[in-house]
Amino acid sequence: MKNAIKIIACLFLVFTFTTAVVKAEEWSVPASAKKKQNPYEASTKNISSGKKIYNINCKSCHGDATLGNMLPLQPVAPSDLGSQAFLIQTDGEIYYKVNKGNGAMPTFEKTLSDEDKWMVITYLRSFDQNKKASKKIAEVINPEVNDVRILLDINKEDKRIIANLSGLTKKGDRVALQGIELSIKVKRSFGYLDISGDDAYTNEKGEVNVQFPEDLPGDREGHVDLLVKVTDDAYYGEVNVDRIASLGLPTDPVNPLDERAMWGTRANAPIWIVLSYVGGVISIWGVIFLVLFQLMKLPKLAKTEE
Amino acid sequence: MKEETSNNSRRKFLKSVGLTVGAAGVVSGFSLLGAAKAVAQEPGETVNLLTQDGQLVQVDKNQLRPTVSEPLTELQKRGREGIAGKSFVMVIDLSKCRNARKCMDACQNHHQLRPDQHHINVLQMQDAEHTAPYFMPKPCQHCDNPPCTKVCPVDATFKRQDGIVLIDNERCIGCRFCIAACPYSARIFQWTEPKDAEKYKDLTYNIEANVPQKKGTISKCLFSADRLRENKLPSCVSSCPNGVYYFGDQNEDAVTNGTTHETVRFSQLIEENAGYTLLPELGTKPRVYYLPPKNRAFEFNGDLLNEENLH
Ligand code: SF4
Ligand code: SF4
Repeated sequence: MKNAIKIIACLFLVFTFTTAVVKAEEWSVPASAKKKQNPYEASTKNISSGKKIYNINCKSCHGDATLGNMLPLQPVAPSDLGSQAFLIQTDGEIYYKVNKGNGAMPTFEKTLSDEDKWMVITYLRSFDQNKKASKKIAEVINPEVNDVRILLDINKEDKRIIANLSGLTKKGDRVALQGIELSIKVKRSFGYLDISGDDAYTNEKGEVNVQFPEDLPGDREGHVDLLVKVTDDAYYGEVNVDRIASLGLPTDPVNPLDERAMWGTRANAPIWIVLSYVGGVISIWGVIFLVLFQLMKLPKLAKTEE
Repeated sequence: MKEETSNNSRRKFLKSVGLTVGAAGVVSGFSLLGAAKAVAQEPGETVNLLTQDGQLVQVDKNQLRPTVSEPLTELQKRGREGIAGKSFVMVIDLSKCRNARKCMDACQNHHQLRPDQHHINVLQMQDAEHTAPYFMPKPCQHCDNPPCTKVCPVDATFKRQDGIVLIDNERCIGCRFCIAACPYSARIFQWTEPKDAEKYKDLTYNIEANVPQKKGTISKCLFSADRLRENKLPSCVSSCPNGVYYFGDQNEDAVTNGTTHETVRFSQLIEENAGYTLLPELGTKPRVYYLPPKNRAFEFNGDLLNEENLH
């Protein structure tokens, strides 16, 4: 959440300086395009993958769906894509607008795949109060739980991470939670690398089993910072666990200054070059001074001769 | 009883000396000699300071010395050394660049540059007569085999361990050899008093941002080395509205997009998109990688008819 605020704040700054021409003209959609239907079902999986795509591509301007925290752009502010006023449009209409863009709204024709676009529409439809058919269909119904926890089991030999999601029922039993998407991430300098793959949903045992990439570097000892969290905070709030695991490839950072190169620093100069250079300078100046001294002796010599 | 008091006072004395020494570590530019002298002085007003090991201590105000010369040498030292264990790389996705020029604005803000001075410049490109034109942002390539540092007669421009090539304004004699040596035209020369010279004149020179700029010296892209120290992305990277820039650590094999904040594998990104570097035949080994301008979602809106815009 904190991160999201940061992203929004940062993008807000960027966009307030953007001089994108916002055309306030009407957005006409051809009748044939309006008829298009979303070929994907409104499953929890599709909705949550739509949310992910939304958060990366749309949220920076449109804000969170239904919260109305979009950017106050002039002259036309982006719509709240979770509002009923927006969702009154057909799937085909939204799809067309996402593809074409208009004014400050960029086109996503080539930047998003068809499937991605439909997933976003599926996600937005889950806010629609009028469309009963596309209501959120939970595939598995998990019992009401609290104290949701993720347990990590890390297998170092074959580099597998097994995350187990469970919660405490009212009766006090710890039960596995099924069908929930987890994100398994590895910390890098400027962000988290997602390694969960496409299908990180908990199975009936509440488990997600992920292969850690064979060739992903860690630090000198191969340690990496892992972060496992429930992808969608809407389910149980923020549930996460972090762990330092030695799953990465041990990497010894090379210092380019250690190698000898033309641009290398003085410290890398080979001793014979330093010596012959200094020797050269001393002997050349030495000869010059010697000559000068001899010349200075000349008048004296002349006097003694007399 | 007497024994205890003397013990106590001794402890007090030791403590006070300890604190002063501790505080000396915090207040840079504060010498041990000064501390010893100050102990002997009459106690005046005190201020609260946090020691390096996290203790809050009260220090006599007249023990404090203003920091003037120390930070410069400190900045120079760490600026020369670089950040250990890192190897910074940038990836520029040309298919997304639509000439918004926000990177240039952010950069000019950060480095005290006028609008006509560029550490990074968005160029209009057309590779051949019948090929599609495109926009290409071009910063310093932070070459791994930099021709510019080889020619500097005074060791003012140098490469550091994390791969960044910097300039030391304080050493530069303005000979401009490095401008001639750089095959990417990445360097600029401050011919006149820099912008806002008056405003920045009291600032201690920070080698990692090359600010304040100095008339008669060189400037160029620094990968925002001062921001990297705080784990922030470079100014251009985080100000792009179109997701053009990725930046990260090659040792970690990960780069982060400045717009979407998505982190991806560096090697995969380059491999899957046929990433390339500029003028590889020169053997300069650039640290800036480009992804080809393919599959663009917008029309080229540049002005290729105007020869001046073509580079
Ligand atoms: S691009 Fe030019 S200035 Fe930058 S490191 Fe390479 S040669 Fe030096
Ligand atoms: S202009 Fe400055 S940095 Fe460039 S080669 Fe001359 S002294 Fe070195």
